Amino acid sequence: MKKMMLLVMILITSMTLIACGGDEAGDKITIDFWHMSPVGSTSFSGMRSIINDFNESQDTYFVRGTGFSFWDYWDKINVAVASRTAPDIGLSTIDDVEARARSGVLYNISDLMASDTTDAPLEVDEFRQSQLDFATYQGDLYAMPFSATTRVLYYNLDMFAEEGLTEADVPETWDELKTIAKKFDVVEDGQLTRIGFDPTYGNATYHGWLWQNNLDFFDENKLPTLNTQAHIDVLEWIMNFNSEYTRTQLTTFGEGNQLLGINPFASQRVAMIVEVDGLYQIIKDAGATFNYGVAPIPIPEGGRRVNWGSGFSIEMYDNGKGEDEQRDGSFLFYKYLLSKDVQIRLAEVNGWIMSHISAMEEYVEGNPILEKLLAEVDYAVDKVYIPYAPSWHGNDWQPYYTEALSGTKTAAEALEAARLNYLQKKQNYDAVNP
Amino acid sequence: MTETVKKPWLNKRQKDLIKKILLHTVLIFLSFGFMFPFLWMLFTALKTPAELLMGTDQFFPKDPQWTNFVTAVQSIPFLMYLKNSLFITGMVMLGTLFSATTAAYAFAKLNWKGRDKWFIIMLSTMMIPIQVILIPTYIMYARIGWLGTRLPLIVPAFFGGGSAFYIFLLRQFFKGIPRELSESAIIDGANHFQIFWRIMLPLCKPAIITVALFTFMGTWNDYFGPLIFLSNPDHWTLALGLRAFQMQFGGRFDLMMAAAILIMLPSLVIFFFTQKSFIEGITFTGIKG
Amino acid sequence: MAKTISMQKLKRQENMMGYLFASPWLLGLIVLGLFPIIASFYISFTNYDMISSPNFVGFANYQILFTNDDLFWKSLGNTFYHVAIAIPLGIVVGVSLALLLNNKIKGMSIYRTLFYLPNVVSIVAMTLLWLWLFQPNFGIVNEILAPLYKLFNMEPLRWHQAVETSKITLIIMGLWSAGGSMVIYLAQMQDIPTSLYESAEIDGANWIKKTIYITLPLMTPSIFFNFIMGIIGGFQVFTIAYIMTSGGPSRSTYYYAYYMFDKMIADQAMGMASAMAWILLVIVLIFTMIALRLNKYVVYLGEEA
Repeated sequence: MKKMMLLVMILITSMTLIACGGDEAGDKITIDFWHMSPVGSTSFSGMRSIINDFNESQDTYFVRGTGFSFWDYWDKINVAVASRTAPDIGLSTIDDVEARARSGVLYNISDLMASDTTDAPLEVDEFRQSQLDFATYQGDLYAMPFSATTRVLYYNLDMFAEEGLTEADVPETWDELKTIAKKFDVVEDGQLTRIGFDPTYGNATYHGWLWQNNLDFFDENKLPTLNTQAHIDVLEWIMNFNSEYTRTQLTTFGEGNQLLGINPFASQRVAMIVEVDGLYQIIKDAGATFNYGVAPIPIPEGGRRVNWGSGFSIEMYDNGKGEDEQRDGSFLFYKYLLSKDVQIRLAEVNGWIMSHISAMEEYVEGNPILEKLLAEVDYAVDKVYIPYAPSWHGNDWQPYYTEALSGTKTAAEALEAARLNYLQKKQNYDAVNP
Repeated sequence: MTETVKKPWLNKRQKDLIKKILLHTVLIFLSFGFMFPFLWMLFTALKTPAELLMGTDQFFPKDPQWTNFVTAVQSIPFLMYLKNSLFITGMVMLGTLFSATTAAYAFAKLNWKGRDKWFIIMLSTMMIPIQVILIPTYIMYARIGWLGTRLPLIVPAFFGGGSAFYIFLLRQFFKGIPRELSESAIIDGANHFQIFWRIMLPLCKPAIITVALFTFMGTWNDYFGPLIFLSNPDHWTLALGLRAFQMQFGGRFDLMMAAAILIMLPSLVIFFFTQKSFIEGITFTGIKG
Repeated sequence: MAKTISMQKLKRQENMMGYLFASPWLLGLIVLGLFPIIASFYISFTNYDMISSPNFVGFANYQILFTNDDLFWKSLGNTFYHVAIAIPLGIVVGVSLALLLNNKIKGMSIYRTLFYLPNVVSIVAMTLLWLWLFQPNFGIVNEILAPLYKLFNMEPLRWHQAVETSKITLIIMGLWSAGGSMVIYLAQMQDIPTSLYESAEIDGANWIKKTIYITLPLMTPSIFFNFIMGIIGGFQVFTIAYIMTSGGPSRSTYYYAYYMFDKMIADQAMGMASAMAWILLVIVLIFTMIALRLNKYVVYLGEEA
């Protein structure tokens, strides 16, 4: 009984204390914008002021920004799109814009650009064609690239110095990589405590290594290819890179890295690693103080300079309700977010590399690491969207990859099993997709 | 041959003492195992980022950063989220206790047409994974205009939504109460409401407290429901708000653990106090006697 | 004559009362629950990528799952294994803990709270910790067991890293949440009349006899409850594998619900995922109904005394 009373009292008190949220919008037309900087994140206040500045610069529209943490954002946006209650503007992944464009849930940006009579048009030339291509469907743009990621080789200069090496010794080919990496391995009491390099650490991927060799998972017809000797050779190169150590030693070392999610490079357990540009921000936030540099990922013989880079897209969602006023206002805010100065601010606030070319050139000036990162973005390529296996590089590949790496399957067996899985998926997909 | 009266090896008091010592030993040993994860969380929350980088080489924090907790609290509108959590959790507890006890009584003590069929259906509602129901549920709420409010999180509780577990639990407890009790009450002229309120509920107090406790914990810690159904950030709960703080780039595990501990503290405190009532609880005077 | 009439009237009254008491739940089910459930059933007969509208494909999803999907059977098998072992083990551990904690010694509140701790701690924290504890080479578990390994002259177990032991490892980790069922057992034990124990003592019963002949039988309603809930929950096992082993090694911990989740999120095939959900429902329903039949023979019901 007493508990009941207590509960009821708490309820009544909280109900009276909870004030109704005021409507700041007033007479303005409200535009909903979803992003990834929720209240409580470090980038929240920066995003809020960017949005505020737009709101204060004109009287017709009011942009209401809502942030969700990166992990939760996708649940939120997918449910919203599925139920046609998506926000006016939101972020998404650029590699599958085609799927959304095809289903008619996105506004046609090319059309909006064509009917734009203002003197501040969308500066399409400021964005890389490679990213724009991904946002194009049947000749029209249905999204714009918002941010760009890239992968590079990070190297620990302090460790290099210990071995008497300098920046000039940073490896540029696969062979050099192996030779240099071996100088840094440290074994104590039969356990590895430091490794020079491993092709599976960080954000290196099998398809990243394949692309350098002009190979891929799929051909132009989106059929799986994984069945050539060249594919096997690359996989074996990955598997055997550190083969002088036992499987046990390697897994122990690897798991020691994963604990607490510490990045092995940031904790100085590896000398070199392939990682995304975001590691720069992580190292900065963690307050790590060692000297490091970045360089293009070493290239195999006869291979090319390429890395896997992706990025967010920024899209305007059409919920089919004919909300033209919102659409026009959204497009204004859309252009604002893609304009040079705002792109610079967005980079500063979020620690991302944005897609606007000259904005980023200005942003990175004077910071050697950021300059190098930006340079690699030009060589970044995104993965192709495969309708029957949207997660072809993730769920559909990881289990086989892990089996190959742990020795349960040979490289050839793993590739064959993966290929058969893709084919079965394609079969099943075609059966229900006319 | 003379008969020797065998003196017991240990008298009762000594036996009891040994039993106590044994019990304590086992309990201490086991509880250390159960406590370990929490200790580790606590230590992580108190470390500096540099210590985090050192991983398992450094188990204890050298200089406990209690300020991490303060940072977690200050980085979000803590009070507003707290109010929201209290409101939603309180309402859900009320609703669940109401709808679960009544439904359980119906299933346990009353004979009505189709009862067993509905019982199976109730159990079946727990067999559908929530992920496949999520989008149709969301669309439904969008259609009836409840999006943007807290109604999707509160109203179902008053109608047994998500309470199948509790209905089943309470039904089992109600069934354990002898039929003679209700029968004699009926003979005395009581109606079912009185039986329900005066006899069933008081006798099942431990179970009801359990339901209240579980409901509290489930709702208090739930971030997924609020994430999906609360579009207005002013309505966000503590679990959701702290999660946003947790899931930052940069892997600040110390802050993440601090936030996690903050979220779980109320549940712990409430558990500690409610299970006391398990002990002091009810003195049953020989129903069967 | 008057007696017969009032019996009928009583029966009708009871019928009405039943519906009345059940009405909040019934209303909720029909008004709020029916649409999503029917919708998901319909979706299972469609191809739905969650962006465009679903398009009807009849039984194709079900057919594909049963005839052309290796992972369907693999994940189902893993799940059956898990259910078969985790549930009995969970009951034994839960009941044992409750028996242990039902004693009146000093500090019992603290012990109970400590045992309940794992249920309150975030899964992420628990996961990382378990990965560390069970690490074959530097984890505490193998260190503690080292003398045993020496004794039997065997290689240290590789726990979650080996195909043979991965599922068991996850089950053991799951046992740490036994505190949840323990609470329910404790609640049930409070309802056991002390007079029973007293008369048993007078008859000279020791604690073993008391447990076997009084405590356990009177606990059967809650044991049965946890058994059914174990079945229902066990078939939906997912999170622990998702976070700890990613379904490996070699898909040994790839459970049915995990595969369903992948179908929905990674493959964007909601129709197929819904079909999987409904297949699971049928399976669990069958097992549950079998278990309910056992109810009569196994559970002590106060009213049947």
